[in-house]
Amino acid sequence: MSTTTVEAAAVPLADVLPPVVRRGRVRTFLRRHPTAALGGVLVALMILIAIFAPWLGTVNPIAIDPIHRLADPSGLHWFGTDMLGRDVYSRTIYGARISLLVGFSVAICASAAGTVIGVASGFSRLLDAVLMRIMDGLMSIPPILLAIALMALTQASVKNVIFAISVSEFPRISRLVRGIVLSLREQPFVEAAIASGTRMPRIVWRHILPNTMAALLVQATFTCASAMIVEAILSFIGAGTPPIVPSWGNIMAEGRALWEIKPYIVFFPAVFLSVTVLAVNLLGDGLRDALDPRLAKRL
Amino acid sequence: MLAYTARRILATIPVMLTVAFVVFGLLYLAPGDPAAVIAGDQATPAQIAAIRASLGLDKSFLVRFGTWLWQIAHGDLGKSIFTGLPVTTMISQRLEPTLSLMVMSTLIAVVVAIPLGVVAASKQGSWIDRGVMAIAVFGFSTPVFVVGYLLAWVFALKLGWLPVQGFHSLRDGFVPFLRTLILPSVALGLIYIALIARITRATMLEVLGQDYVRTARAKGVGQRSILFVHALKNAAVPITTVVGSGIALLIGGAVVTESVFAIPGLGRLTTDAILQRDYPVIQGVVLLFSFTYVVVNLIVDLLYTLFDPRIRY
Repeated sequence: MSTTTVEAAAVPLADVLPPVVRRGRVRTFLRRHPTAALGGVLVALMILIAIFAPWLGTVNPIAIDPIHRLADPSGLHWFGTDMLGRDVYSRTIYGARISLLVGFSVAICASAAGTVIGVASGFSRLLDAVLMRIMDGLMSIPPILLAIALMALTQASVKNVIFAISVSEFPRISRLVRGIVLSLREQPFVEAAIASGTRMPRIVWRHILPNTMAALLVQATFTCASAMIVEAILSFIGAGTPPIVPSWGNIMAEGRALWEIKPYIVFFPAVFLSVTVLAVNLLGDGLRDALDPRLAKRL
Repeated sequence: MLAYTARRILATIPVMLTVAFVVFGLLYLAPGDPAAVIAGDQATPAQIAAIRASLGLDKSFLVRFGTWLWQIAHGDLGKSIFTGLPVTTMISQRLEPTLSLMVMSTLIAVVVAIPLGVVAASKQGSWIDRGVMAIAVFGFSTPVFVVGYLLAWVFALKLGWLPVQGFHSLRDGFVPFLRTLILPSVALGLIYIALIARITRATMLEVLGQDYVRTARAKGVGQRSILFVHALKNAAVPITTVVGSGIALLIGGAVVTESVFAIPGLGRLTTDAILQRDYPVIQGVVLLFSFTYVVVNLIVDLLYTLFDPRIRY
């Protein structure tokens, strides 16, 4: 009896954890999920663009050149220039940095906060009652609206944007983690660990957390995509990153007044934003199919 | 049914209280002293203190929260710092465009998305199915203002079929009202279409594998009847759930759509209030939207029993 429980403890862990990277498996995964592979390639490309922005034929994205303002796209200014003569190509390329930074940071912060809250309410009935009521309340405020309201309280900065979007995203993650923790607690291997006198922190660290990783990773990917959209929306309506920062939302906000005659100012950052979000979503779909077959079946 | 309804309504009270607490906390934390703003630049500290006392700002957090709740219960959301008008008046002036936009988007989304999802599920793996799924993925990934600009550029600027921007009240006649509403509603509805089509397809696939569908086929029920009568009815619960929770997307999207199409609705009111840091207005709009969201989802919960009489909590 005791040996089977020990085995039961080992088997699901290996099953649920992200697959060990072996060449054959990766190749199989890519063949089965070509769209996920495409998403991964595009995300990697965007990361490279963000890192190597200064060497991609860009000029200073905030340098003003009023004489050449509102120039149409040409060999000199690939995406044209905006109202202040700033190079839209450079601003768009540098914008990738902001979008990815916000997307990844929110995914990490919201996942971390959501995991802490989710694990806490999964293990303590008292905390569960209190925390989940608060989460219900937070989830009843539409995320974009909550982020807007939080941004209205603080100064416009990239850090505050990350904070505001994280706050509006983490309740959903805490719900997800709580659900997984509640079902894991009933599993024989957790009961066995408790019965054999393992302390709570160790149970959480060794048995609970690793088994939430797959679902969490999938959710974090979608959170990243949604955070990039919310950041663009916040900046677009003037409640996001400060205007000096070349984020895609800001570029579009500045191009808004002129979009009927100079649509390219809005068009280029819009395409970059959509492609990046699409790529992250495709990657998320692929990860979900690969890591969380139960979820994949449902959607 | 009555007990269930009563229980569900009671269950929304703690949620609404939490929402109110969060929203009140926002105003409480807001930088700046409303008393100093009202008193003006020439006021002495004593005058500011007097105004603060008259507004009740010198009381403790909980007393102020209680007073504020009492005011809300009486339909008083305070006055705008900027215009001095009651927030309820400002909201009611802006209600029509936003309400029209959201109702129209929901209608378009439901009417387009459910048939798309049903057809995709009934022809799983075909090009129609792939097409619908592609639309769903793109709908999720394209921000609402990008769709908005694209639609406006094609159908208003290039083809000239519809007005680029603006809003006509229903009082100006139905045709102008509809013409200004079509593009923003479609732009706002796309993500909603993606969401509903996806869940419809997934649920229908599940339902179509059930025994009673096979029985219906065996007794010679036509394909259309199987899809729309037997299967869709049993897939209704998850679909209505998503329609309800998707309202959150719609509310967030409305703020942006109204900016793109220059519609003078609640979204624009929010945007303007943020730029002016008009906290009572921000508070009022957030509260109203959250309240709407909770009520819509309450209605959805109550609808469950209508679609599926087995559900009794």
